[in-house]
Formats: sequence, structure tokens, C-alpha cells
Amino acid sequence: MEALKRALRSGRPVALWHDPPQLRYLVEGPSGMEEFRIPADRTFTCLAREFPALAWFERQLAEVAALQRIGCADPKPLRDHGTPFPFATYDGLHEVPVGPVHAGVIEPGHFRFSVLGERIVNLEIRLGYQHRGVRAAFLGSSLERGRLLAERVGSEPVAHALCYARAVELIAGVEVPPYADRFRLVLLELERIFQHLGHLAGLFTDIGYAFAATQTGRVRAMVQAEIERLSGHRYARNAIVLGGVAARVDEDAARAARAKLSELAYDTSTYIAPVLRHPMVLDRLRYVGVVSEGQAHRLGLVGPTARASGIGRDLRSDEPSYRPFVPVTRVGGDVLSRAHVYLLEAQASFGLLDRFLRELPDGPTAVPVVAPDGEAWARIESARGELLYVVKAREQRVQAIEIVSPSFKNWPALEVAVRGGGLPDFPICNKSFDLSYADSDL
Amino acid sequence: MKRLLATLQTGRLTKRLDDLLALPASSPGIPLLRPERLSDEVRAALVALCPSGAFAEDGGEFRLDLAACVACGRCLRRHPDAIGEWRTLDVAVTRRDDLVQRVDLARGTLIEPSDPPPSRPELRLPTLGCRAVSAGNGGLDDSEIALAGNPYHDMSRFGFTLVASPRHADALLVTGPVSENMLPPLERTYHAMAAPKAVVAVGNEAIAGELFAGSPCVRGGVDRVLDVDVYVPGSPARPASILFGLLLLVGRVRQTLVGGQPRSQRPAPPRP
Repeated sequence: MEALKRALRSGRPVALWHDPPQLRYLVEGPSGMEEFRIPADRTFTCLAREFPALAWFERQLAEVAALQRIGCADPKPLRDHGTPFPFATYDGLHEVPVGPVHAGVIEPGHFRFSVLGERIVNLEIRLGYQHRGVRAAFLGSSLERGRLLAERVGSEPVAHALCYARAVELIAGVEVPPYADRFRLVLLELERIFQHLGHLAGLFTDIGYAFAATQTGRVRAMVQAEIERLSGHRYARNAIVLGGVAARVDEDAARAARAKLSELAYDTSTYIAPVLRHPMVLDRLRYVGVVSEGQAHRLGLVGPTARASGIGRDLRSDEPSYRPFVPVTRVGGDVLSRAHVYLLEAQASFGLLDRFLRELPDGPTAVPVVAPDGEAWARIESARGELLYVVKAREQRVQAIEIVSPSFKNWPALEVAVRGGGLPDFPICNKSFDLSYADSDL
Repeated sequence: MKRLLATLQTGRLTKRLDDLLALPASSPGIPLLRPERLSDEVRAALVALCPSGAFAEDGGEFRLDLAACVACGRCLRRHPDAIGEWRTLDVAVTRRDDLVQRVDLARGTLIEPSDPPPSRPELRLPTLGCRAVSAGNGGLDDSEIALAGNPYHDMSRFGFTLVASPRHADALLVTGPVSENMLPPLERTYHAMAAPKAVVAVGNEAIAGELFAGSPCVRGGVDRVLDVDVYVPGSPARPASILFGLLLLVGRVRQTLVGGQPRSQRPAPPRP
């Protein structure tokens, strides 16, 4: 326990889950990943008071593993709607409930604001509306069906399928062919551009800048057309299979895609990038929804959110195919910084795609995967941040699975960022974090 | 000035409905069973091949449920003789049965259902306010609804708008397999709408749960809890299919799929 606390003090929790009869902590520190196993039978000791980054993990444990919490600072349910949610109330403050059904076309979640005039004093988030029993659906399913399920966990099918496939391939001890390895990254970067431009378009819609929203939406739609041309699906579902990829893209198609993508990169720099220099846009986005670097550390944030608050961690730095790779970092921690990170990462991804598509290797598209009984985990830098799959296989079936999505780690940031801000700023704050409800509700 | 120039240079993006309904060449179409080619081996191979269990055989009947198809295209590539392909996105239907292809194995022919019921006359509105509710969807069907409003698809040219409140809505577009936790808000949203009102199940998950069909945390389909007027299949349902579904709802197009196969592809009924 002391070693765990020491690691948490200098590092960041990556995952915490119950693998009876013990709790398993994955902590990323300065010297890499460390795993800690703490015996837990019926109870476990909460550490969230000292390490707030563990708060949601511990709320999850109490529900998923039915373990009693000891010393819990925040005994709220996470996804369970059977018990009433104890919203914090304040004497003399007005409460504004928002959701679960929102005005736009977004996923459901409930937000309870305590406001003084228009100033937000406190926000509480209640999720769980999208809970479909994803973990249970995985259990006992074939490894191939597990890949289909992974594609349906959230709105980033490539990242989820890739992360799941890599975990299974690690169990099987197979190495995917060079072509498949490279083409998977092509799909991953395309998905990143598609997602990032989506957040920017949403942000521009929310501040009422129709020109920028339309241009961003236009580029995004054409990126999606390239995804479909290269993968046979608008979101590249079915393109990643265990052991490789489903099909080969011939040289002509790769060349055509490169040409189109370079046009789109030009459009991004010409039409979208100047928007974030426009004085009215700066006025609206700057100093709104600030998450300081210290808060980002304490909450264990990941992905573009963390990078916009000065934490330069991007898992792509660890992958040889990306080298040389420099993560995009901003220090403001506000909506504008996050918008900058989305834009710069999308632009960088266009560059990566050009390189990846130019160097598509020859050879087979996939190798057969026969997994012995065993366990492995894999991490992917998805558009939203660090995604983790821990897969345990037995007799070619999924015996246990743990999915930790970036949104699950980043949701608490929203509560912090809006505190003290104006209620009308909430939509742009929410959009700037770009959180998935489904992949944290599971 | 530069912005204005950029806007003018962009030109018109909106595509004609016929162009939108054509499937891009790289994507697999909808599989169509060819009853005369379904030997015992082929049927067994199809059942084993499909990763999502869209093919099934029991009681002398071979079935293909389009609402369970994840569009991986494996059956099309592996069995081009036994499986035809429909490459148009006019796949929305008013009756769940019209998404299921049934082959009577004794006679070796498709089972012909009756004509599909027309959409309700009170829903033939000049404009349609649509309220989208995600009830356990991963986010892609929602994304496709939002994209039906982008400049390429431009749903508002047909009079369809996405409205913020159920009070303003004529149609409720539901995505996802209806999670238990989302059921009460979904029902409250429906009851907040004024009559006449319609329900559209968008995407395979909303139609029959797709991969989450057996989960105890979901109801496994919108029609288990609300009367559904139009089903839009797809994994996820494509924006053009959603547009077609809304046009079908207001009675401006004729349903294409009957018994899971397009009318034009069906052989003429045998003369007595």
C-alpha cells in the first residue's frame, strides 16, 4: 500500500479494477508503468481523498465489484439508477437541472448546477444513462465478436477496435504484418482528424459563427468520405480484424487519398486555422473553462485536455512508427487552448497521414490469431486520449475485460472547469472537453 | 472580404437526393438472398461466416435479418452466387418484417409478405420537427442524424428540422437499444410531444438491439416500448437512409424493401 501511494504521488493512475481476490492498480510514473495488487475481499480502502484521480474508479468499484468502501469521501453512485443521487445543495442558491435529454443531438447525461445569479458555484454530473452492460456483453463471447463489441463501445470505433485487437494479439504472441500495422495507424489518424474537426465545428456552432462551422463541417465531411474510400465504412468499422486489417488498399487508391488529404490539409490551414485568430472568437473562448496544470495532475487527466493544460503526454511518443513525434502542448488550460490543441493535432495528423500513405509496405494484410489462455493489456492514444483494454482470454473466448476510456478519466475536469464561470458558458466548456457518455457509461 | 470570397468559392455543396442514395463504390451493399442458390452447404457456411448472426435457419425457413447486418461485406465477397447486393440507401421501412428476408426451404422461394401499410395519413405534414434522443447508442447513429443536417445532405430543404424541445417536435428519432436507465426519460420525452406524433427507430441498435440484444441492461429495441412508425436500418444508419426514412414517414416516397428485398428485384409472382 505504501509503495502504491508513493507511485501515485509521482504518477498518474491508468486503471483500477477488481480481479478477485485482489484490486489491481496500473500507475504510470516517470519511470514507466507499474502494477500494484492489493488484496480485497469484501472491502477496500478509498484513496480518493488523497488522490482525487481515483474518485471515479472507486465509485465504479463499489458498483461493479460490490465491495464496501472504507473512508470514502464521495459515496455517490456512478451508473446505478436504482438509488437516488445525493446532489449537493446549498442554502439560498438556485438549482438548475439540465438533461438527461439535451437541446442538441448529443448523448444523455444529467447536469445539476447550483448558481448564484448566473455564476456557477457548483456542478454535479450524473451519468449512467447510456449504460448497456458492455462488460457483461463481452464475457463469454468469441474473440471475433469482442472486436465487433469494441467498435460499439463509443464513438471511436477505430481506436477501440485497435486497442482490443492489440491486447488479443499480445496474448496470442503474434505480430501483425507491416502493412496492417501501418494501415491501422492511417485509420487511427483519420479518425482523430474527423473527431477533432467535429469538436471545432461544434464549438463554432455554439458561439454562433456559422461560416466557420460550415467550413469545418465541409472539410470534416470530406475527411469522412476518405475514411469510407479507404476502409469501406463511414467510421471504418470492420476494417480492423484480429491479426491485421480486412483489406488492402491498392497504390492508386493510396495516391488518390494522399492527393485529396493534402487538399483538405490546405483547406484546414486556409479556412479553419484563421478562425482561432479572429478577435471575436478569441474574446469568446479565452479564459473560459480553465483547468490549471495542477488540477490536471491531481485529476489525472489525459489526452488533448491534459495537453491543453501543459501536460505533454501523448502515447504516440512511445510508438516507433510515429518517430520523430512531438506532442502538441498548450499552457492556458482554457477553451481556446483546447481548441488550439484540436486544430494543431488535426493538422499534424494530415502530415502523418501523408507519410504513412506514402510508405505503405507490401505483404499480407493479416495473420491468423489463436490466443492461448492468458491476459494482456494495450493502450492507444485515441482522439480523446488514453484508451486502455485489459483482456483475459480463455478457450478462444473473452473471460474478463476491463475498458478504461479517456472520457471516464476526463469527466471530473468539467466539474472543475465551470466552477465560478457563467452558466451560458457551459455549452462551449462541455464541447471543448469532448467527452463521450457511452464509453464511460459502458 | 476574404471570408466572403471563400464562401463564394466553396460553391453549392448540397447533393441531389438520388446522388445521396447511391452507395459509394468502396462500401458493401445490402445482401440479398437468392433462394435458388441456397444449397445446404452454402446456408451452413453463411451462418458460420456472419460475425453478427444475421443469418438463421429453423423450422424449414432460412432468414436474413437486415437489422442484424453489420455491413462487413464478407457474405458478398465469399458467396457472390448465393448473395446478391442492393446498392441504394432507400432501405427504411414502416414494418419490422420488411427488414427480414425469409426463404421457404421446401419450395425454394422467398416468402412473400403482404403489401406494407402506408404511413399514417395524419403524419403527411409539410414540415417535420424532429427531436433526437439517444437511448444507449455509442454515438455514431447520433452523429449520422446530426450529419443529415450538414450542407451535403441538407435535410431542411425537405422541411425537416432538428428541434430543441419535444413540445415542438412531430417525430421522435430514437437511437440505441433503449437502456433501462434511459427508458423513463425517453417515455417522458414522448409524452411531452403533441399529437400527431411519430417515432422513428434510427439504426440497427434501435430496431432490435444489434450486438446488445441480449443484455439485461437494455430493452433491445424501441418498438418494445413505443409504437414505431419507421425503421431505418444501418450500422450506423446512414444520413441518406435517415432522409429516406423521414420522406417515407411523411408519405413522399414509396417503400422499396418488401420482405427484405427491393420490389423491383422480385420475380413476378407465378401465374396460377
